[in-house]
Amino acid sequence: MAEEKKEIPKPLPEITPVTQLFWEAAASGKLVMQRCAECRSWVWCPRPACVECGSEKLSWTPLGGRGRIFAFTVIREVVGRALRGFAGDIPYVTAWIDLDEGPRICSNVIGCPIEQIAIGMPVEVVFEKAGVGISLPKFRPRS
Amino acid sequence: MSLRGKAAIVGVGETPVDRLGGKPGEPRKVTAEYLSWAARLALEDAGLTKKDLDGQGLAAIYTTNHSQPFWPEEAANILGIAPAVSLAGGNGGASAVSLLGHGAAMIDSGVVDLVLVVAAAAPFSERGRTRAEPADTRDFEMPFGVMGPNCKISFVMSRYMHESGMTVDHFGKIAVTARHHATLNPDAYLRKPLTLEEYKSSRLISDPIRLYDCVLPANGGKAYIMASPERAKTLRRSPVYLLGWGERNNASAGPRSNANPLITGILESGKAAFEMAGVSHKDIALLALYDDYVPIIMLQIEDLGFCGKNDRVFFEKTDFTIKGDLPIQTGGGMINCGQPSTTGGMLHVIEVARQLRGEGGARQVADAKVGLATGLGAVNYGKNFGCTAAAILGSEP
Ligand SMILES: [Zn+2]
Repeated sequence: MAEEKKEIPKPLPEITPVTQLFWEAAASGKLVMQRCAECRSWVWCPRPACVECGSEKLSWTPLGGRGRIFAFTVIREVVGRALRGFAGDIPYVTAWIDLDEGPRICSNVIGCPIEQIAIGMPVEVVFEKAGVGISLPKFRPRS
Repeated sequence: MSLRGKAAIVGVGETPVDRLGGKPGEPRKVTAEYLSWAARLALEDAGLTKKDLDGQGLAAIYTTNHSQPFWPEEAANILGIAPAVSLAGGNGGASAVSLLGHGAAMIDSGVVDLVLVVAAAAPFSERGRTRAEPADTRDFEMPFGVMGPNCKISFVMSRYMHESGMTVDHFGKIAVTARHHATLNPDAYLRKPLTLEEYKSSRLISDPIRLYDCVLPANGGKAYIMASPERAKTLRRSPVYLLGWGERNNASAGPRSNANPLITGILESGKAAFEMAGVSHKDIALLALYDDYVPIIMLQIEDLGFCGKNDRVFFEKTDFTIKGDLPIQTGGGMINCGQPSTTGGMLHVIEVARQLRGEGGARQVADAKVGLATGLGAVNYGKNFGCTAAAILGSEP
């Protein structure tokens, strides 16, 4: 009997009432985050109330999707069973991107040879379909 | 409220660590066995019996591979004791140091006069079910292939190198020093001397983190017993007094959505510990710093105020060995002695206690009267550690 080779799935986000609007926007190609109407702070990751002032007046606000690499790493080994689905992608780059508006987002830098990736590099968001109704905001170099 | 001199460590116990039990035919011990073993060793060290703990305090640290919501109760059940107070170590790797303060507060308030802090984990021999992750990790890190702490601390390290100009030589010096101390510690797991060249040529795991930057996962159990100063005087070991203590969780240097990841909560918890202890930096004979990764040792030395931020010259000039200016990781640290999951931080409390009791053997720091231990736990999204704690211990109250 031929054994069927099954692809190991990558973990997907669990969509909750707190995060739903982020993922809905992402699926339509838009990057949004919560911003506090009282103290104007950006709130990221999504929260029920402002983590700076406590206000519940948070509104989902579009961002330009542009920023710079603040820090990055090259993943060279799989650690843990939950992430075995990434084995085929190694080596790949995960990074902290500081968006022009302020918040820091954790993502991948794609569309660029690893050797060219550097702290301070300007990047822009690009959405990558990862599952039914789920697109992940990733980043590629911009000139 | 000050906890200065209000409680003392009167017994310590450590099982040997191993990395066995994952492969068929290997000897296998489970968490309960390491837990029971460590508790017995600490009781023997203190000259106490299990019966002495009925109606006293018990603290158990949650581990990632054997986590169930009623773990402190299960720990009491495994040991067969009936605590009057159960404390939970839920601060990950910071728990061992956090519990020094929590236990001392219970003792100082008169609720109990003994507290057993016990921790064990068997990540190699006892595979837990798939563990629950914090929602930020589950939803905004794992889908991007963020490989746990290796990856997250790599972000911190890459930024640290960028801002400070620290190079592989700076990190290597720390790794080589810690291993040197491990060669002097019969209980260390990695005891072969490490050269700077070997450090530099170790394989990259998650750039810039390489193999010898990383902690060594292991099976094992550790315990310490605290007592009121009055009770401590009646017991067989020289008491090791809690002089200063601080805890700071979910710290954020700057806006929460854009924090400085090179400043840890140790800035605050360490300051609180120094203020409570009323000692100065020059009084500290040794540092036992939470060491899941080499660069984190350096960030803590900065945050504790032994040097400025990004102080390359300090790290170049300072001798961190037991005979040097500022001894650190005197037993080799978790990187060389092993990290039984979130319970690994117990090592640092126990190492300071041993040094202050003058039981360091070949690795003894001369005239050690005051030492400092830290704990760190959880790596938060876009920042560094979610849980931090610092404690200053002394051989005199
Ligand atoms: Zn606000």
